[in-house]
Amino acid sequence: MRTSRQATSASSAVVIYVVILVAFQVFLLTVAVEAFAADDEPLAWATAGVSVVLAAGSAVLLRYLRP
Amino acid sequence: MDDEQAIEPTWKRDFPYEAASEDEVTRREFARYLVAGAGVMAVGNLGIAAWTQLRTINTGEPRELIPLADVEIGDTYLFRYPTDADPAILLRLADREVVAFSQKCTHLGCVVYFEAEEDRWHCPCHEGNFEPRTGEVISGPPPRALGRIDVEIRDDTIWALGYQP
Repeated sequence: MRTSRQATSASSAVVIYVVILVAFQVFLLTVAVEAFAADDEPLAWATAGVSVVLAAGSAVLLRYLRP
Repeated sequence: MDDEQAIEPTWKRDFPYEAASEDEVTRREFARYLVAGAGVMAVGNLGIAAWTQLRTINTGEPRELIPLADVEIGDTYLFRYPTDADPAILLRLADREVVAFSQKCTHLGCVVYFEAEEDRWHCPCHEGNFEPRTGEVISGPPPRALGRIDVEIRDDTIWALGYQP
């Protein structure tokens, strides 16, 4: 059976994962701006795609967080 | 001293002011804010991609630029094409030969200019260099050639016909 301490560790881990994903999103935003400045459409769309996947991933991680 | 006083920090006893916003943010709420931020950034990224796409779709309409006689051989002429937000540069190579390119470097969008003594388009930001006739990259970080503007001489007047990113 899962103890309270384990549950706290698990939810801390989820928050850390979400923080890492959001930090990566910030990086992706800079890449998108760079793609915009260089008129690089494929890079801009690829960045947007990865960004959407990461946002969805962080939303899924929320489900694993204790209420 | 009761239990509540025992766990209360000293600063809270010294400054006993409270506001509704002082409520603790739970871990779940914090994560929810982060996910909301991630969503906003994803939407921003999609917007940037769409904007980049829409900008490159516009290839411009044919229009008159300048009389040929107003540009000396080896000289450049600055104009804007296909829209007023797009700086472009024209170079007269020979009597009846002109080329024109987008003035935006394909690396990070700095403005390129013609270096006559080196016979090349030069971007001063990161030392990118382009071939004067084709706009192909000679050296530096730019990933691809300059955007080309088709130009033509009609009745001693230079016309821009369209933009090829």
